[in-house]
This record gives sequence, structure tokens and C-alpha cells, in this order.
Amino acid sequence: MAKGYTGRLLRVDLSAGRLEDVPLNEKWLRLFIGGSGLAARHFAEAVRPASGGPARPDPLGPDNELIIMTGPVAGTVLPSASRFNIVARSPLSGIWGESSVGGFFGPHLKFAGYDGVIVTGAAERPVYLAIDDGRAELRDASELWGLDTYQVHARFAPDGWRVLAIGPAGERLVRFASIVHDRGHVAGRGGLGAVMGSKKLKAVVVRGRREVAVADRETIDRIRRQVLERGKESLTISTFREVGTLSAIELSLMTGDVPVKNWREGSWEEGLQALGGNNYNDTLLTGRKTCFGCPVSCKRVVRVDAQPYVVEQGPGPEYETVAAFGTMLQNTDLRSVAKLNELCNRQGLDTISCGGTVAFAFEAYERGLIGPADTGGLALSWGDAGAAGKLVEQIARREGLGKLLGEGSERFAATLGSDAQEFLMTVKGVEAPFHDPRAMHGVALQYATADRGASHLSGLTYYAELGAVYIPDLGVEPPESAQTSAGKAALHVRAQDAGQVLGGALAFCYVGGSIITGEELVAALNAVTGFEFTIAELLTAGRRIWTLKRLINSAFGMTRADDRVPRRFLEPLADGPAAGSVPDIELMLKEYYELMKLDEAGRPVRSEVGRLGLSEVAERLCPGL
Amino acid sequence: MAVFKDASEVYECIGGLFRRAMTDPLSQKVADSKIAVRFNYSEPDSAITVDAKNPPPGQPYAIYEGETSAKPDVVMTMKADIAHQFWLGKVNLVAALAKGQMKAVGPIQSIIKLIPVIKPAFELYPQYLKEIGRSDLVQ
Repeated sequence: MAKGYTGRLLRVDLSAGRLEDVPLNEKWLRLFIGGSGLAARHFAEAVRPASGGPARPDPLGPDNELIIMTGPVAGTVLPSASRFNIVARSPLSGIWGESSVGGFFGPHLKFAGYDGVIVTGAAERPVYLAIDDGRAELRDASELWGLDTYQVHARFAPDGWRVLAIGPAGERLVRFASIVHDRGHVAGRGGLGAVMGSKKLKAVVVRGRREVAVADRETIDRIRRQVLERGKESLTISTFREVGTLSAIELSLMTGDVPVKNWREGSWEEGLQALGGNNYNDTLLTGRKTCFGCPVSCKRVVRVDAQPYVVEQGPGPEYETVAAFGTMLQNTDLRSVAKLNELCNRQGLDTISCGGTVAFAFEAYERGLIGPADTGGLALSWGDAGAAGKLVEQIARREGLGKLLGEGSERFAATLGSDAQEFLMTVKGVEAPFHDPRAMHGVALQYATADRGASHLSGLTYYAELGAVYIPDLGVEPPESAQTSAGKAALHVRAQDAGQVLGGALAFCYVGGSIITGEELVAALNAVTGFEFTIAELLTAGRRIWTLKRLINSAFGMTRADDRVPRRFLEPLADGPAAGSVPDIELMLKEYYELMKLDEAGRPVRSEVGRLGLSEVAERLCPGL
Repeated sequence: MAVFKDASEVYECIGGLFRRAMTDPLSQKVADSKIAVRFNYSEPDSAITVDAKNPPPGQPYAIYEGETSAKPDVVMTMKADIAHQFWLGKVNLVAALAKGQMKAVGPIQSIIKLIPVIKPAFELYPQYLKEIGRSDLVQ
């Protein structure tokens, strides 16, 4: 067995109450490495394409597999390298669902003796999975059911457990329910918390003392020193340390990246100053936290003492959440954003989809598509954080309008008629993260083609367009201009290959990982595992992983027609740094399909599948390809 | 070939931008930042310090060309060519920092305070160059 891995997965059948150790498939490790890559290869075994009936598995049915997977470098001394991935068929999109999480759970799962966990079936009564230094068992969770994620954390953390839990929103199958680790590290995207809820799996807790064996400790130490030294000189890293991800709010005064009022306005200087990193530090911040082995410390700790937004000392909102409940709603009160962040974390709600759905409801109200009779008398006025809070509570409880909103904005829009499509901001059912493609055209292509629906993390494209990553030996460099479409398909393909490995298979953090070189990355992988990858082979693995996910999505019925962006992204803003700029999505898609070798149906062509060693699995996922 | 032939051209064009900004609404944003920034340029060697921390009476900020005893909060270092392209709005600040084309030293919060100043200056700089008869530099 290659080093870096524990060598085994835990397979849990909740229907049968059976747990089984499964040895890692060494051939798959060399092809898919780990993280979301290895998870995809395992998940593909559970996929049954449509054949006279719906494709399987059903996202909220017992046959859906929820896979938690680490990478080989997690738990080593390499900095910013210990994230992990959770995947399943998404109940929000109906296609591949994937979410990456930081914190400490990933390394500690390995310290407890497992590289990953595959959960299938559904329990009759609530259970949680405990993995205690190599021994795994299912335990009754009746007393945990109904608790919020902070309460679950408080039950286990004092005894040294690392906790992954759903809140009431996941129990009630909100389609954008999240899975929360250590209160502030969240697998938010795609509603994977609802998958756990459908299985009546309240939590997974791990603890252990095993070490991660590596092949070449000396090389790992050298790379660690190099990266740490470079980090000391990096303004990107020091910015993330000082103001976290919030600097993007102020940077938007130059880039036009941050959406305002459900993506309608391009300029809001007063709001961006009020919600930006400097004011956050001055008014909210009480401390900083970090993930396992990471020197960056980008996580915010906040406390609010003033009513009505009292927030206990704990995880503070990050960029996406500040945009979700700040700029998107034209709400300048950071304290209210902190409160909504805590509410979402406790209830187990993805702040991106939740904020996007709430903003959609606000605009629907403004346009008269819904009214007081629908909201229970609640007026939805831009800037009203109190109204937003009430909607979030309704969503978590699936009460009132929350019954419909908990289905996500795309399903909600379908109940409102065709006018609602004008301001629906989803791709493949997934609410867009808060980076405006009119300011960065490559991001439009990234949203349209990402494996999990709208995502700015399916590759390094967004960070390259922003200018925050410069890894020339992986082919990822900032473009001359963010607001042009020419050449962006080629950039996106390179950045996607790199990102599928860096953030996907190896589960590095894009922030801390932004200063590593390709040479260091491949040397680190080889030093940990004993493999002999080259940079080219590493990037081919990235292509292979994306292609496998595309095949899975094809099996779920996804075609080229689904590779689109919301129409508002194709309408110019009147003012602000991105005024008048519109991505040429047709040009970028045309070039992308050629570069990625996708056929008229949007599936990878047979020759490409063969080149990547995916012929066998492709035959099952897409018969007759 | 370098954009500016000597330091005096740097002071005429980029230093002049900051002087011109004193009569523009942009001056209030600079004043509000209450920080002092020193720009160290190479090719040709030159330096400009914009001090909004200790402004002269009745002025939003002070401008010093060359060496000065004014203590900067933030020091930005780059080639004068990069500075010229930057003020024309043709250089991605974050990318330039990531690539090492620009270096910034100082408290991050102070550097962030500069951001509201930058975008309006992109419009002012080419306008100013035309006003002083240097349309040749606006490409």
C-alpha cells in the first residue's frame, strides 16, 4: 500500500446496521489519488443511468451513497493540505454533489484509522457513527435529533471527538442543508446535509492517535519550509490572515466582483465599505482560528453583545456569507450578518444557497409575484435583515413560505411562472456563489460547466481571474484582462485540471495552496505516497477526475443544454467597475467543448475516455458512448 | 524602452496625477484614508510619497517627490512602467502583487484603505496626461 493512506475505507450500510472495512484499491489511487477524485470513482459504482425510469440513486433515497474522503497528504505536516471532501448525488441539483471542508475532521479521520467513509442505506431511527481509534460503531442518536449543530458539537468536543453533524434543516430535508464541522467549517453546497437527514444519520464523530506514514519525510520537511517561507512574503497570505476572505468585498470597488441587490446593481461603495474587511475587524472580530496545519488563520472569530443580534463567541461570517446577507440584500449591518451566519450554521443551512434564495424571494416580493398572503404578513424590503432572519428560520423549520423556499430558488421559481426566470440565479439548480461573471468572464464559463452546478471552486479559474494565484508550471496565470472572453476557455481548462487535483484529489486549500508551485505539489505528493507522478501526469489526473464526474452527470441526464448561466449574467450592469461588460458565453462554451473533447450531447468522446483510462466505467455510466 | 526617460517625467506625470487629484473629488477619498504611502519606482529611479496622515494646513494631503523625512505607513515598490500602466487601469493589482511586479509593505488594513482611491484615479490619469500634452502616453 502506498504511504500517506491508512489503506482502508469504512463502508456503512445503515439499512442493515452493518459496518465493514474495505481495502483501498491501489490501482484507483494512482488514477484518482484521493479526495473528490477517489470519491467519484467509488460513487460511480452506485450510479445506474436512466433506462426506462429515473436514474439512480435517488438523492434522498437509501441507495444514495454519501462518501467522506480525505487525500493522501491530509494529516501530514504539509501546510494548508488537510481539507476533505463529502460527495453524494445532490438533492438540490439532481447531479454530482461535492463539498470541500477544512478544519480538523479530515486528519483526525485518518488518525482514527480510515481514509474515508462510504455510507449507504437509511436507518429506521436516528443514529450517529462513532469511529474511535480504529473501532467503528453505530450508536443511537435519539437524544441528538432536533439539536442544532452547536449543541451536537458541545456534546462531543469535550471528550476529544471531532464532529461532523447536521442540524434541524438537514433532518427536515431542506435541499440546501449543510453538514457542519466544529461549528464553523461547513460542507455547504448541494444539500448534502439533507442526504444525511434522509439516512437519519445525525453525526459522524472521530478520534484517534494513529500517525500518517510518509515515504520521504526529509523532502516533505523541505517543501514545508519553502512554502512557509514564501507565505511570510506573500501579500495574498497576509491579507487572508488579517482580514480573511473579506478583502474581496473592498477589492470589488476595483473589480466589480460582488453582487448587489440580487445581482442588479454594480456599484454600492457605502455598503462595500460598511461590510468590508476593515470595518469587520474594527467592529466584529474578536479572534482568528485556523485549520489543521495551516499557518494562514483566515477563519474569523466574532461576538456580538447588542440586541437584537446577540452572537456568542464563535465562528464569524466569511466572504460568501457577508455577500449573501449583506450586499445581496443591501443590508449594511455586519452584526445582523453575523447573526444570520450563526443561525445558518446552527440550523445547518448553506449560506450561499440560503442567501441566494432569500434574495430571490425579496425580488419576487418587490415584483408582486408573492405578497403578504404568501409570507404570513412579512414585508420583504431590501435592507431588512429582520425579515431575512424570519425567512431563514421558516426555511429551517419548513414552515410557511419556508416550505417552498427550502426546496431551493429554482423549484420555488417554477411555482411563480415564467417571469421569475428573469431573476433566478442558479445553474443546474444550484444558487450561484457571489462572484459576478460580468466582472470576470471566465467565471461565467466556470459556473456553466462546473461539476456540481454553479461553483467558483471547480478549478482555479476564479482565483486566476482575480489575480490571486500565479502557478505558471501548472499553466495557471492571471489573464491580461478579467473582462474579456477571448482565451478564457483555454485558461479555464488549465485551471480546471489544476484545481481538480489541488483542491479536489489532494484536498489542499485554495487559499494556503495558492503559493505552492506545481513542482512542489507533485514532489509533495510523491514524497508522501512514494508514487512517481510528473506534473503532466498530475494534470492528466485532474482531467480524468473532471471527466469521470461529467460521465456521472451524463448518466443523471445532464446535457449541453444544462451548461448555461442565468440570463441576468448576460445583461450589462449600468454602473460600477463591471459596467457594460457581458461575457460571451457562447464563444467560451464552443471553445471549451472543443478543448475538452465533448460531443454534441456534452459527453466526453470515446477516444478521450479511452486516453484517460475510463472506458470501462464509461460503458456502464453512458452505454454506447 | 521605458515609458519615462527620467525621474522628472515620473514626477510630471504620476506626481502630477496626485497634484491634479487635489482639485478632484478624489482628494476627499485620499484624505479620508489618513495614511501615508510611499511609491518607490525603478527605471528610472524615483520616489513619490503621498501623506494624508500629516497634511499641510488647508490641504487634503502632502506630496513629496524624491527623498523625504515623512514616515510612510505603506511602501509600494515597482517599475515606473508598471506604475504608469497601473494608473491607466491596465494592470490587475492582485495579479501584479502575486507575480512580484509590485511589492507592498505595510499593515494590510492600511493597504485596503487605498482601494477606494484607486478606481477613480484610473479615469483621472489619462485625462490629466491629455491636459498636459502627453496624449502619447495614453495608449
